[in-house]
Amino acid sequence: MTVTLLIIDSDTSLAEALATYLARQQFAVDIAGCEADAAGLFERHAHKIVLADPIFAGRVKGVALLRRFKADQPLTQLIVFTAEELLAPFMEQLGSDALGFLSKPVNSLALDHMLRQAREWISLKSKLYRYTARLDDLYTAQVSYQQLFDEVPCYISVQDRRFRITAANRLFKKDFGTQVGAFCYEVYKHRSTQCPNCPVADTFKDGKSHQTEEIVTSRSGRQYNVLTWTAPIRDERGNITQVMEMSTNITQIRKLQDHLVSLGLMLGSMSHGVKGMLTALDGGIYQLETGLKRQDPDRIQHAFGQIRQMTDRIRKMVLEILYYAKSRELQYREVDAHRLARTVVATVYPVAERQRVSLKTDIDPALGMCEADANWLQAALVNFLENAVEACIHDQSQSDHEVWFQARPDGPDRICFEVIDNGMGMDRETQEKMFTLFFSSKGSKGTGLGMFIANHVITQHGGSIRVTSSPGQGSRFLILLPRHRPDKLPASELPMHEVPPRNPEPDQLHIDPPAGPLGSPNCAHGDDSP
Amino acid sequence: MGHKILVVDDDPNVVDYLTTLFEDHGYQTCHAPDAQTGLEMARREKPDLITLDLEMPGEWGPRFYRKMSQDPEIKNTPVIVISGMSGNEYAIGKAVATLTKPFDREQLLKIVRDTLM
Repeated sequence: MTVTLLIIDSDTSLAEALATYLARQQFAVDIAGCEADAAGLFERHAHKIVLADPIFAGRVKGVALLRRFKADQPLTQLIVFTAEELLAPFMEQLGSDALGFLSKPVNSLALDHMLRQAREWISLKSKLYRYTARLDDLYTAQVSYQQLFDEVPCYISVQDRRFRITAANRLFKKDFGTQVGAFCYEVYKHRSTQCPNCPVADTFKDGKSHQTEEIVTSRSGRQYNVLTWTAPIRDERGNITQVMEMSTNITQIRKLQDHLVSLGLMLGSMSHGVKGMLTALDGGIYQLETGLKRQDPDRIQHAFGQIRQMTDRIRKMVLEILYYAKSRELQYREVDAHRLARTVVATVYPVAERQRVSLKTDIDPALGMCEADANWLQAALVNFLENAVEACIHDQSQSDHEVWFQARPDGPDRICFEVIDNGMGMDRETQEKMFTLFFSSKGSKGTGLGMFIANHVITQHGGSIRVTSSPGQGSRFLILLPRHRPDKLPASELPMHEVPPRNPEPDQLHIDPPAGPLGSPNCAHGDDSP
Repeated sequence: MGHKILVVDDDPNVVDYLTTLFEDHGYQTCHAPDAQTGLEMARREKPDLITLDLEMPGEWGPRFYRKMSQDPEIKNTPVIVISGMSGNEYAIGKAVATLTKPFDREQLLKIVRDTLM
């Protein structure tokens, strides 16, 4: 490697002799006899080595110049050569800025040694410079990658062979906790052993990327549908040491899909009921027509009752479909709870009477006001009562049936509605499925929507429902409703599925709000719609 | 004396409609809410025609028809299927007709008339 070298000496002939000597050692040499020349040459060539006698024309001028060179080009190595008696003061002034000091006349061995040293320094320093620059780049890159890693709107975790999490991005930490070294299956699924069909295990095995869809549970108990991809992380020898797992939250999409699927399912399953109703309506119209023709008041009366019953049923079914088809926002208003409860009773009373079920009520006049969507709350309560009447009709074991409806304040902030019947009761399975979409214990007569919607309306109001029942013993529904509307959660925060209670008491289930916006079935009972 | 028609359907409103309709047109009627009762009634009443729903609690219409076909006393009774199921025309191949709810009143009466001629 040719190294550039600048000789500064006012003794031109000495400088030339040195130049000849150094050129033979593969240096590209320039000579400067005065300060101005030196400055000009150095500015142009930025020599790697400067060999200088700071004494110009008997005056010390070179020190400042050399310092400037060093400041401009820190890589440049300075070697001072001068009369022996001047060495000490120059050493003091230049110190570590110079690589070394030689006395005139220059000993060639000492010069060679120093030049070798200078070359080594130069190569070392330039390497160091390159590395430092690279380190800086690396650092910048690392910071930006970390930023990317953190800001990606997915859950990213890096796992070792035992599925321990060694790194996780911000979103992951937010929803699943910050513990390093925890097992993936523990954090994502609250399991104690490895999950079956683990894509991370597959990637460790074959080094390829794998994809799965999973349902994971966040630390707050929310369930998310995630689409998961894995990628291997290899060491410098190409061995897979870790696997990166990236999970995209697709809960919203799945929710929508579920909604569409169940909507289709609903229309299919309801068509039979609809056809029956239409036929019965035809029957009513036929009897009305013929009754009018024959002037037969009994037949007209009978036909009218039938038509009214059918239109009620069809109206109810259409309303249910509309409610389900469009998850509507509740229209909150200040509602007089006492009046609402009385309206509910007035609606159900004729139904109960017709079926010879005694309806007993106990409505506290001091029920007060509450914030609610009166239409839907009323519909939900009517549903619970009608359901109780139905449970009585289906109970053949006895003939004395009653439904008891109570409404009372529950502390200052809540209203409690209680519906008790001594009807057929429910087994555990029916209780668990009762609020599920399309679950009906009434065969083709139920839409499987009534209790689902009733439950949804209550939970949307921030209320909760407690069910106690056993077969042959009747059922008890305790509905607790807050007086004020619940703080609304953003749609994305609504859970996909309710997490089932871990250890429910026997024959008792407690459904807590909130449920998804018609998201998905929670738990439990038959349905309503007669 | 008019012909007797047995209506087998689990929906009381539909039963009410069919029996009224038939009686208004001079037929005698009897009815049953399920397949089992329907068979018993068919054996007892020996109707001239049966209208049969397909989807009922307990045994469904096709089972009723099979059992009926095995009883020499009633096996030749004509059956009209009246059901809400789509694609029901294949459920009982030997039925004289298959109608889908909600059915056309005049069409049903015509089929009944033609069958009982």
